Amino acid sequence: MRDAEADRSEGAGILDLVHDGVIVRDLAGTIVEWNAAAAHQYGWTRAEAVGRKQAELLPHMRGESFEALDAGLEAAGSWEGEVTRRARDGRERVVELRWSLRASAAGSAGRIVETGRDVTDRRATEAALRLNDYRFRNLFEAMAVSFWEIDFNRVGALLLPLRGAGVADLRAYLADHPELVREAMRVARVLDVNARTLSLFGAASKDEIVGDGVERFWPEASVPLFVEALAATLEKQPHLISETRLLDLQGREIEALFTVSWSAESRKQGVVLLGVIDIGDRLRAERMLRKVQADLAHAARVATLGEFTASIAHEVNQPLAAISANAGAGLRWLERPEPDLDEVGAVLARIAADSRRAADIIQRVRTMAQRREPERAELCVNALVEETIAFLRHDLDSHRVAVALSLAGGLPPVHADRVQIQQVLVNLAVNAMQAMAGYDETAARLDIATEAGPQAVRILFEDKGPGFGGAVPERLFDGFFTTKASGMGMGLPICRSIIEAHGGHIEAGDRPDGPGARFVVTLPVLA
Amino acid sequence: MAADTLISVVEDDESLRAALVGLLRSFGYEARGFASADDYLSVRDGRCGCVIADVHLPGTSGIALIGRLRDLGYSVPVIVITALLGPAVEREAHDRGAFCVLAKPFESEALIDCVERALAA
Repeated sequence: MRDAEADRSEGAGILDLVHDGVIVRDLAGTIVEWNAAAAHQYGWTRAEAVGRKQAELLPHMRGESFEALDAGLEAAGSWEGEVTRRARDGRERVVELRWSLRASAAGSAGRIVETGRDVTDRRATEAALRLNDYRFRNLFEAMAVSFWEIDFNRVGALLLPLRGAGVADLRAYLADHPELVREAMRVARVLDVNARTLSLFGAASKDEIVGDGVERFWPEASVPLFVEALAATLEKQPHLISETRLLDLQGREIEALFTVSWSAESRKQGVVLLGVIDIGDRLRAERMLRKVQADLAHAARVATLGEFTASIAHEVNQPLAAISANAGAGLRWLERPEPDLDEVGAVLARIAADSRRAADIIQRVRTMAQRREPERAELCVNALVEETIAFLRHDLDSHRVAVALSLAGGLPPVHADRVQIQQVLVNLAVNAMQAMAGYDETAARLDIATEAGPQAVRILFEDKGPGFGGAVPERLFDGFFTTKASGMGMGLPICRSIIEAHGGHIEAGDRPDGPGARFVVTLPVLA
Repeated sequence: MAADTLISVVEDDESLRAALVGLLRSFGYEARGFASADDYLSVRDGRCGCVIADVHLPGTSGIALIGRLRDLGYSVPVIVITALLGPAVEREAHDRGAFCVLAKPFESEALIDCVERALAA
């Protein structure tokens, strides 16, 4: 008895070194051994547990019942499985168990030895991972964004050796080696795509896209973005976003916002996540808006020209009258008994010059009247102001408006549509002229100045009319607001829409040095 | 030919002014040009047999010029030319005593005809 006790306690000492919980019960189910790990797992001390029925102390919350397993053990001799038990503090523990039936040695009854490993935390982590994966898959599938998982390993294998071969500027190198870029597209293998990808790219099923490369989705014009994406990947930039055009399986162009992102994890696996958002509708709406704006601006220009028909006729009639007089003189020199060919040559040269002048006027008018797509170019603001004054010279003269120009030198160019900006300048000059008509006509003067602002060029129009008296009407730039009988009141809203479409703004106020209105047009300069 | 008769052309458009002076010269007239009515009025050397004046001029208009000349006691005939001929302009020019009124562009013969009649008047 003393020996047995000594054996037991020596064995228990060894068992306490084991990390798994070890519980030994007799064939009647009474706990006879309970190591330190079991005490830690379940909360009962050895003294508390030994002598209790194990089925009562640790019933199985989930998994097969203790009793059923116990009953089957005799035939099988051992059992392994996972069950959930409630510990002393009430918390559920998930345990991986191994039971084995130790046949009775001579003189002693049989025993059942249980080793149990607490896997609660591991199972919770696994469940959380499953949930994360489920959430990711859900997002991947359900988002209105076309997602692509791309295996980039072979692309890396293709490009990384370039560095070793001394290629410093990957972008430049790839620009010179389009065949290498196409090869990269072919070996970038699609691992998975979502439902939105199928609908956007015109595929009936994933089979049509998954497993292949991406070459067929990249039109030639978009290749530079693919190169940029390759370079960004190798430079380990976190993401890349750009507007581009891609092709669907039928070869139609898709206007897309293209995003690439890499996480540290995906980078390790060589997997890239691409997102493609269809922005065709938005771009179409923007184009429509630009067209409406251009149409409106055109309508306003035609209306403006309508008000200038008398001036235009005058402008064209001047050179025509000169041509007519020169032709008369030329004939006269020829009809002399001794034709004076020097005089004839001189008048013919003048005729040619006046014809050009008339043609230039017609061209100016035609440009103003044309309905055309706005075309941005680098423009010199000072030249635009001078052209505007040339266009209006006759009207300014006949309204007896003196024009004083103060044009800043060295202004940076603006990126703008020539006709539309000129339209704004003409409008503002005409407004000034009309504001001064019938006011103090002896003082009628239009001051036009240009100056450089921060990343902008400003054009200032200051008249000597009545001004706003400190209260600029709130709706001055709204459509159809006018205090004048003339149709030119339509002009300001169009001026604003033109200037704002160019990324600038237009403001009205009183001129600082006494009565008169001031309009300031600000246009951004090229970055 | 009235080669000894001087004709004054008052026209602010430089090329038209040169063309008119040249036309008159080809017909044997001596002509001189002025860019404004005020420039012309400042000369007043009494040698002028006929004036050709544009309506739209900086400063004094061609029509107002007729009144200024009459006020100064000159009866020199004035031929008014304009690119903006309407009934109102024509009536006003005649009322102010214009010798004749021509709409730009005009035939050379029409102008010469006016000049000959003006010098004969």
